[in-house]
Amino acid sequence: MDFSLNAEQQLLKDSIDKYMAERYDADQRRQYLAEETGFSSKVWQDYAELGWLTVPLPEAEGGFGGSVVDTSVLMEAMGRSVAVEPYLGSILLGAQLIARGNNAAVKGRYLEEIMAGSCHAAFAYQERRSRHQLDAIDCRAERSADGYRLSGSKTLVFNGAAADVLVVAAWLDDAYTLFAVPATSNGVQRDGFKLMDGQRVANIQFDAVELAGDSVICEGDAALAMVETVIAEATIAVSAQAVGAMEKLLKETVEYSNTRKQFGQPIGKFQALQHRMVDMYTATEQCRSLLVRALCSHSGGEAQAASDTAALKAMVGKHGRAVAEEAVQLHGGMGVTEELSIGDYLKRLMVIDTLFGDSDWQRRRFAALRYGPQAA
Amino acid sequence: MHATFSAEELAFQEEVRAFLRDNFNDDMAARIRDPKTFKAATIEWQKKRFDKGWVAPGWPVEHGGCGWSDTQKYIFDSALAEAGAPDVPPFGLKMVGPVIYTFGTEEQKQQFLPGILNGDTWWCQGYSEPGAGSDLAGLQTRAERDGDDYVINGTKIWTTYAQYADWMFALVRTDNSGKPQQGISFLLIDMRTPGITVSPIIAIDGEHHLNEVSFENVRVPVVNRIGEENQGWTYAKALLSHERTALSGIAYCKQVLNNVRKLAADENDDGQPLLNNPTFQARMADIEMELMALEYTELRVLATVANGGAPGMESSLLKLKGTELQQAVQNLFFDVAGLYGSVLPADADLSSLGHDYGDQARREYMYGRACTIYGGSNEVQKNIIAKFGLGL
Repeated sequence: MDFSLNAEQQLLKDSIDKYMAERYDADQRRQYLAEETGFSSKVWQDYAELGWLTVPLPEAEGGFGGSVVDTSVLMEAMGRSVAVEPYLGSILLGAQLIARGNNAAVKGRYLEEIMAGSCHAAFAYQERRSRHQLDAIDCRAERSADGYRLSGSKTLVFNGAAADVLVVAAWLDDAYTLFAVPATSNGVQRDGFKLMDGQRVANIQFDAVELAGDSVICEGDAALAMVETVIAEATIAVSAQAVGAMEKLLKETVEYSNTRKQFGQPIGKFQALQHRMVDMYTATEQCRSLLVRALCSHSGGEAQAASDTAALKAMVGKHGRAVAEEAVQLHGGMGVTEELSIGDYLKRLMVIDTLFGDSDWQRRRFAALRYGPQAA
Repeated sequence: MHATFSAEELAFQEEVRAFLRDNFNDDMAARIRDPKTFKAATIEWQKKRFDKGWVAPGWPVEHGGCGWSDTQKYIFDSALAEAGAPDVPPFGLKMVGPVIYTFGTEEQKQQFLPGILNGDTWWCQGYSEPGAGSDLAGLQTRAERDGDDYVINGTKIWTTYAQYADWMFALVRTDNSGKPQQGISFLLIDMRTPGITVSPIIAIDGEHHLNEVSFENVRVPVVNRIGEENQGWTYAKALLSHERTALSGIAYCKQVLNNVRKLAADENDDGQPLLNNPTFQARMADIEMELMALEYTELRVLATVANGGAPGMESSLLKLKGTELQQAVQNLFFDVAGLYGSVLPADADLSSLGHDYGDQARREYMYGRACTIYGGSNEVQKNIIAKFGLGL
């Protein structure tokens, strides 16, 4: 049992902490957000040069071959700064699926460029009726003379508008299949939207899109299993981001309470407020502990990894929002303004809760795993 | 970062499980739960662990500890929880023992440590007083020097198991001139000394766990003082973080949850097992997820300590969250028992009551109300975290 970062992970942490401290204050973040894509291509290029875009990708494909722990180190730091780069959509979902698939041509076409920062990916899996059920989709491909023809529509594709390549989940015959679709193909119609926390998503329509014969990344049960694994890892990663955001909120709130004076003293001297901040601290520590727990069981390939991950996501969903709501309350009127960044953290934590199953859904999943008929 | 067990650790886990199979059973568990047989059964259980050399996981080897790694301690505690085996009372092994081997004289170590380890000496804690609860430093029980003795006058209260105790470790006032924390000394008091009166206090579970202990001109040899005169607060503080960590009750909570899960699978809920009820599942899941988190919070604290760090506010966090969870599992247990939990059984035969755990569920719930109060109330723990942890 060992909960410490190894030397390489510590270096990774030091490097991203330093970068975020220098390049990611609230004003800089606003500038990045104001760019047309909703993030700074310069910052993305820095991510590439610092090697962060290679971290979760396998060594065989030229990646760093990092584990969920490495990814979480990065995501936690991004959470502390509410970073707006599409690391989740492009790297943790899109690129991961391409890299883990079994299509060498697709890998060759995209991975190197993705890791160099010159190409973006996204994973189009959700549809209007899916909510959190991965195979509740209607997108369908049929075989054509040269390959495949894809039709259907996807919603809320993270980084969908900026992506050069879309990994699309669709039925081929009766098999759940992942296709690599060039985003500029004829028949692809993308409508981009901003999320309240600064991230970008797109609704994407595929209207009889012609795909080459070598477009399939993975198919059948293996494809669904691969998606489940990649989403499980992304679930831990966004939870790490939530923990980073929660820790930052607690720190900011304590600092504010020690400086803001009312009734002749810093408001942090009032016991009613102190106890609320202790509750924030407790919730944050509990989430940190579940993060460590899930990282350990996932890296160890242990049977309880699934229930540990569900517990983690359920708790960061619930406590993340609660901590952010308390941070707003303790910042008083200033907490509800856009002038302070507290609201940005609240919004990010709310988005994280809705991702990959919210706290109620994850709790039900946890209960099914622990108390259901298949439980040990 | 990993939590996998090595081959040696897995072998150790097997050894612990085998030990529990051979040395602990439902009969012993029932006798420990029954107030009439509690003391004898507890000592019997402690002696089995002592004979195996597994009674003091946290102690240094030279004083009779196990020399276990944090992982081994975790494996041991988890195995106890699996087997439904309780830990032994903390007063000797987790509280006064570490103070004696850290701050005591050679003579004190030789006199007291063997009895603490083998269970021959039963200890109680003399801290709280009628006028000093959460504000412990306000204690007023006086110890005046007279030759080679102190003469003690005053009253201690909420003294758990004083009726069974051979010895008490107590904080007494030896000087009134400075700040309240100064002028306190740490004494070891033989409970058979003339002038000590133990009076029972019946708790809301109807049982006698608590006592008031009064001292009237009780003579305690000066050689039974730990460390320097007037420095008792320092020694007590060193002990408090151990105490709070010991009070987290994580293994107990796991045990109750395991039990609740089995019982709820057998209870009828509108034609389905209660365990299948989504509302019940959600409630149980909330508790279990918090418990899984706290288990790792404790492991993280142990890892910090092993790396030379001191448990600061984390020990308060463990006490705070652990006791909240104890009450949460007790609530759940009581609710599974249903109305049977409210029946006051006329005699020890519980089998005529429909099921046999209502009495236990009620008593644990009732006495469990104390856990957020003792060891420094949870509100005091929050003050400690706010001040020393968060810097407010």
